[in-house]
Amino acid sequence: MTLPGPGDVVRYVKESGLWRSLFRQPYPTTSRTRALAVMNNVFLHLHPVRVKKHAVRYTYTFCLGGISFFLFLMLTVTGVYLMFFYVPSVARAYQDIISIENAVAFGQLTRNMHRWAAHLMVLTVFLHMIRVFYHGAYKPPREFNWTIGVLLLFSTLWLSFTGYLLPWDQIAFWAITVGTNMATYAPFLSRESSFWLLGGITVDQGTLIRFYVMHVIAFPLIAAILMVVHFWRIRKDGGISGPV
Amino acid sequence: MSQLPTYGEVHGPPIGEMTRRTFMRRLIGWGVGLLSLEFLAGTFAFTWPNVRGGLGGKVVLGSATDIVGASPDWATGQPYSYQKARIFLVNVPAGEALVDGKTDNVPDPKKNVLALYRKCPHLGCQIPQLCDKSHWFECLCHGSKYTILGEKRAGPAPRGMDRFPFTIENGIYVVDTGKLEDGPPIGTETFDKRTIDQMPHCAA
Amino acid sequence: MTIEKRPNATADKTAPSQAPNVPVIERSPGPKLPGPPGVPGTERFRLLAYVKQESMVRVDKRPDETVLTWPHLLRPEFLMACLIAVLLIVASVFINAPLEDMAHPYVTPHVAKAPWYFLGLQEMLSYFNATVIGAFFPFVYFIGLALIAYVDRSPYKAVRDRKTAWVFFLCIMVGGVIVTLLGAFFRGPGWNWVWPWQGIYFTL
Ligand code: HEM
Ligand code: FES
Repeated sequence: MTLPGPGDVVRYVKESGLWRSLFRQPYPTTSRTRALAVMNNVFLHLHPVRVKKHAVRYTYTFCLGGISFFLFLMLTVTGVYLMFFYVPSVARAYQDIISIENAVAFGQLTRNMHRWAAHLMVLTVFLHMIRVFYHGAYKPPREFNWTIGVLLLFSTLWLSFTGYLLPWDQIAFWAITVGTNMATYAPFLSRESSFWLLGGITVDQGTLIRFYVMHVIAFPLIAAILMVVHFWRIRKDGGISGPV
Repeated sequence: MSQLPTYGEVHGPPIGEMTRRTFMRRLIGWGVGLLSLEFLAGTFAFTWPNVRGGLGGKVVLGSATDIVGASPDWATGQPYSYQKARIFLVNVPAGEALVDGKTDNVPDPKKNVLALYRKCPHLGCQIPQLCDKSHWFECLCHGSKYTILGEKRAGPAPRGMDRFPFTIENGIYVVDTGKLEDGPPIGTETFDKRTIDQMPHCAA
Repeated sequence: MTIEKRPNATADKTAPSQAPNVPVIERSPGPKLPGPPGVPGTERFRLLAYVKQESMVRVDKRPDETVLTWPHLLRPEFLMACLIAVLLIVASVFINAPLEDMAHPYVTPHVAKAPWYFLGLQEMLSYFNATVIGAFFPFVYFIGLALIAYVDRSPYKAVRDRKTAWVFFLCIMVGGVIVTLLGAFFRGPGWNWVWPWQGIYFTL
């Protein structure tokens, strides 16, 4: 009697009904199966089956839109992890951050990743916008997608800004105080708009819960929906622009 | 080239009239539009802050005797910092005397007080206690400077220090922090006409 | 072969506005071509979409202008994702996110700055009228950005053909970077000018 080797195990798994219910075809190696793989997978079919040759050069897009999207995904994952330990209360928030850093396994690393990815994403979104402008890629038929992009830029900034308050330390508190006070220079309804924004007349518990809700659910959802439209429109507008 | 018929072309009603179907469609369209607007307005109403306690309500400071008890300097002009309302309570006659270099003692200035909000009208920093060198309020954040009456003299702020309405009920000082009033506009000079280079400062 | 339906008119000014010479293909399964699908010589065809020349799938052009998404696009995407993930993790192992003392509403630190992407705005606030910079400018900035695509009607895409637009955009972007750097690294306590070698007053 011979023992089954690793190859046998792999073959067994690949021939099982479960595996074949997941993957309808073998690993794609031919043009036909590669096309099918992209077409039949819900995540991959964000892409068309074929793309313009110049569009896959690193130096055309510098992958900036893709990097922004990837950072958004990373922020979602690390953000969900942080939520397990964070309570948005003036009395607790700061202590929770400290305990995330000192007592939670990989807590400091997770917080660092969330923070640095957030700053990086603001940067890459800006750079992506400049890249798109450089290529004139906002011209017809892509005008509408540019506008979606501006909304995405706004959402990205707002996500970053609302998140900045959550550690409830001196940096957070005064940065949000100074930042929101710039809005009070509106020529009309300035008091009302700042009252509504802050949930009170100064940065306080009302502000913390407001910013928390916008940061962890409202704006991630809005941004995700906008991204869906953004990516869909890229395909419907005929793929990446160019070559120039 | 002759005009080809298009798919959409059907015989409609005479110009100026509407089919029943069009009418219903528009009715529903406007209805949904109106509902969406109402939803938006409702969202604003729902998210309007519900302020309970702390800043935003009436804050009782106590009688003049209580204040002097808590902060004896108040009778000789030092503004009384009351954190719960985030104000400087300025004893106006004693304060003016202090700036003029006198040492009057006014334990109860009656109605002649100001409740200056400590949030700088520039970008919202907390304004520190009166600067000893200049007898001005000097914001450390961006160097806005205000007289003891909260009139702006220097720096980037757009107006003087904001203030809360103030009442005396049976000798008890009460500040209504729900009604913030804008500070006096730039150029208001009711008192203390010194210019910025006539004295040393706390904030550069 | 995938065929993308693309009803939008494109920027291609030379394309005729009406679809010319749509290839006439048997539309409905007539009795002429019986037989099961898949048997060579007996397939039936239907017109799914008319593909314009400009579309991504170039029908009559050299086929080597497109490449398969798998592997030519998915591989770079995968590598880029790995690279960013590794960089981020390595950076996060070595550099800790800042955390200062617990928020203290009554004590403004000597340096109070907005997050870095608003520092340009904060810097400009110290030069210009507050309403213009604090409220009007951000509003115009976003509305203006959104409208770029509708205002700039020139059909050219290469930079050499649209120098004005590019110079204009570049000025705004470079201006933004400069004021942001000034606000970040050249402003210290009291928003006073400091040189970076005298101290860095900036937290991310
Ligand atoms: C959360 C932010 C954003 C994400 C995740 C994102 C993602 C992407 C991706 C993945 C692409 C494919 C090409 C590339 O990678 O460059 C793209 C293209 C595009 N983006 Fe964005 N984007 C964002 C923000 C913006 C902004 C701020 C603008 C402009 C104001 C914009 C306008 C466009 C346009 C017009 C295209 C088509 C470019 C072309 O065809 O060459 N996007 N975006
Ligand atoms: S916040 Fe006081 S001067 Fe800017």
